[in-house]
Amino acid sequence: MSGATLASLNSAVKRFGRITALDGLNLSVGRGELLALLGPNGAGKSTAINILLGLQRPDAGHAELFGMDPQEINARRRIGIMMQEVGLSPSLKPRELIRQVTNYYHSPYEVDAVIKRLSLESLAERRYGVLSGGQKRQVQLGMAICGRPELLFLDEPSVGMDVNARAALWQVIRDLVREGCSVVLTTHYLEEAEALADRVAVLDHGKLVASGTVDEIRSYVTRKTVLCKTSLATDVIRAWPEVEQLQHASGRLQIITRDAEAVLRRLLNGDAQVRDIEVLRAGLAEAFAEITSSGNGNGQEKAR
Amino acid sequence: MSVETMTNYSTSSLTGSRLLAAYLGDIRIELTKITRTPAFFVPTLFFPAMFYVLFGVLMGGGDAQGALHTFVRMGVFGTMAPGLFGFGVSLAFEREYGQLIFKQALPTPPGSYLLARMLMAMLFASVIAVILIVLALTLTHAPLTPMAAVRVFFVEVLGVLPFCAIGLFVGALASGQAAPAIINIIYLPMAFLSGLWVPFQYLRIPLLQDTATLWPPFHLSQIALHAVGMESFGTMGSHICALIGVTLLFFILAVRRLSSGGLHLFGARRPGSGFRFGKLFTMGIIFVSIFLIIAGVMGGHEKVPAATSKAAAEEGAGSPVTGTRSTAAVGVAAPATTQLGDFDAGSTKVSYGLGWAPADDKWNGGKSTAVLKLTAGGAGNSKAALEVSGNVEGSAQYPFGGMNFFPNGTTDPDFSKWGYTDYSKRSSFRFWVRGDGREYMVVFVPPNPGMDAIPLMVSFTAGPEWKEINIPLRDLGSAILERVKIIQIGTPNPGPFRFEIDDVRIE
Repeated sequence: MSGATLASLNSAVKRFGRITALDGLNLSVGRGELLALLGPNGAGKSTAINILLGLQRPDAGHAELFGMDPQEINARRRIGIMMQEVGLSPSLKPRELIRQVTNYYHSPYEVDAVIKRLSLESLAERRYGVLSGGQKRQVQLGMAICGRPELLFLDEPSVGMDVNARAALWQVIRDLVREGCSVVLTTHYLEEAEALADRVAVLDHGKLVASGTVDEIRSYVTRKTVLCKTSLATDVIRAWPEVEQLQHASGRLQIITRDAEAVLRRLLNGDAQVRDIEVLRAGLAEAFAEITSSGNGNGQEKAR
Repeated sequence: MSVETMTNYSTSSLTGSRLLAAYLGDIRIELTKITRTPAFFVPTLFFPAMFYVLFGVLMGGGDAQGALHTFVRMGVFGTMAPGLFGFGVSLAFEREYGQLIFKQALPTPPGSYLLARMLMAMLFASVIAVILIVLALTLTHAPLTPMAAVRVFFVEVLGVLPFCAIGLFVGALASGQAAPAIINIIYLPMAFLSGLWVPFQYLRIPLLQDTATLWPPFHLSQIALHAVGMESFGTMGSHICALIGVTLLFFILAVRRLSSGGLHLFGARRPGSGFRFGKLFTMGIIFVSIFLIIAGVMGGHEKVPAATSKAAAEEGAGSPVTGTRSTAAVGVAAPATTQLGDFDAGSTKVSYGLGWAPADDKWNGGKSTAVLKLTAGGAGNSKAALEVSGNVEGSAQYPFGGMNFFPNGTTDPDFSKWGYTDYSKRSSFRFWVRGDGREYMVVFVPPNPGMDAIPLMVSFTAGPEWKEINIPLRDLGSAILERVKIIQIGTPNPGPFRFEIDDVRIE
């Protein structure tokens, strides 16, 4: 195995009863890259991560972590993990939690250095149970990076964090990548992937449906939503060629379009009293829906 | 923080000191967690000691054997909680909140979680054992030798293992919400059914005694009784079999259950990188453990006297026994003679023990009186009889007037150190009596009345004419007759009393 690939899934298949969570997934993480794993709920992100962490085994295909089976403890001594949902002992202090994890690694960072790096000084001696959700995530990040990992798995790291904490988290992740650490990031926030990722992989129905740089992925997501209050008749707007969908949402008209600028121009020209205009990029869920429905995934899935 | 250069550890394991640090780190964390959970450690440490002081010291009546028996029972009770709660409740919570799966994803050394938890349970058991040993030696006359104390300490520390396994099984199955309730449902009734709360001699419910071997605490308590030299049921081998079987069975079932949920307590499943319970291996263990449990349950009933009581019994046979203080639960065997006083020699003496003496209730604050007087002309024209008279006042908690006989009494001023006698081989207690027409009773008093056993009481009426009273002992149960400290004849009913008695025999 070449030194460039740290973790990989090759034609990995995983089934849970009648549900196929992974359907021949190929995925690899190179050294020093930040791979963002995106996809709607149930796309297979968690299963892919669990297999790479050695928590599950693929039914077919295989997984490698540093050229070893992910269930080899020596492979996992080179990774750091931040899981999405983990309830740590509320009676322990962040310093103790981090120190315990450092014991599992060959050459961990000093506990104090981790605390300083994540600005946890004010939290380090408090009980974990009294911390806020965002603070808990920061402590979990400390536990993930304290072992000086070569590859970091971050599952929804910024959930529950406020804006400042999220910005600080992003900075820490960028620093780690600059130091040569690879990161696999799963997230629901497109901005997060946008801010951090070198490469984005979009999963749906257990398959890789899109992969590339952030810009490449963004080009898939072209639909935007225009919200406004207008006196123009609905039928008139529906007749505009740029409008794909039209609906009413909390007192405003919601126009889905691939060409927001053209729709705005028509709105402003046709209705001098148009108010409360807002243009939204499609949410991630809609982006995935678009990617997956325009692709060949769904139909073939069902046919099989 | 400066940029760190990456080192390649690609295939190396943690070496000696780093691996030790990993295990020790987990142990330290478990200890920290426990010390910050007073809701766990306070009752776990405090309750056995509290119950021992209550039942063994304050209510124990000062009896040495009873104090030792209670010491053993409370010690075994104390070993149950650390394993059951430490594994059951915590594991269920940690499983439910994803902590275990997180630990598994981390490079946690194999089995460190189990090891740390098990050591905590053992630590708790050893602290409880030490507390009880100190209490027994300082507050009671329990005949606990240093060697016996060491033996019982190890029995109780190792005795946590079956309860760890049961706890692990519950923790593997139950939700965090349900686990505490389930553990309590197992814990308290099992302690009761195993005779830890109330000894079977006291309850005298045959069903409980017959089913006791089903419960692990019973087996552990019999080993512990044996370790301090007291009478126990069943062979040690059968108890050890049962406990190993229970430990293996629940452990393997818990491991199976957890691994079906993706949790591998011993790390990776790949051969060579961790320990794997193969299907055949698992079935083998289950089979062996069930076999061991059956062997243990079947072999647990036979009564085994304490090691020291045989010697004491031989010593006591056929000759008056005075001052012999055995550590046996069963009293020394009664001397061969059946005669307990015909009073013709002009004395209240019996050929062994302390002889008949007046019995009143001054020891528990009463004002009743009793006088013994030898009278000419006994039953069946014998030379003499013994007249017992006095007045019972109802002011004492246990009013009584009459006479009593300590078959194994001594001159030791400490009444609690007086021995007791095994009359379980005798079939009847007989004597001739006449008197004022009142109802009287014969009372066989055990060493620790109210705790180990209730006194046996049989009523009779003393009419104006000489009449022989025959009390069949067969029907009264051997538990008390094995340990008779006092035989009393008299009445608890207020008022003046008078009766004459002659030719007392136990045959």
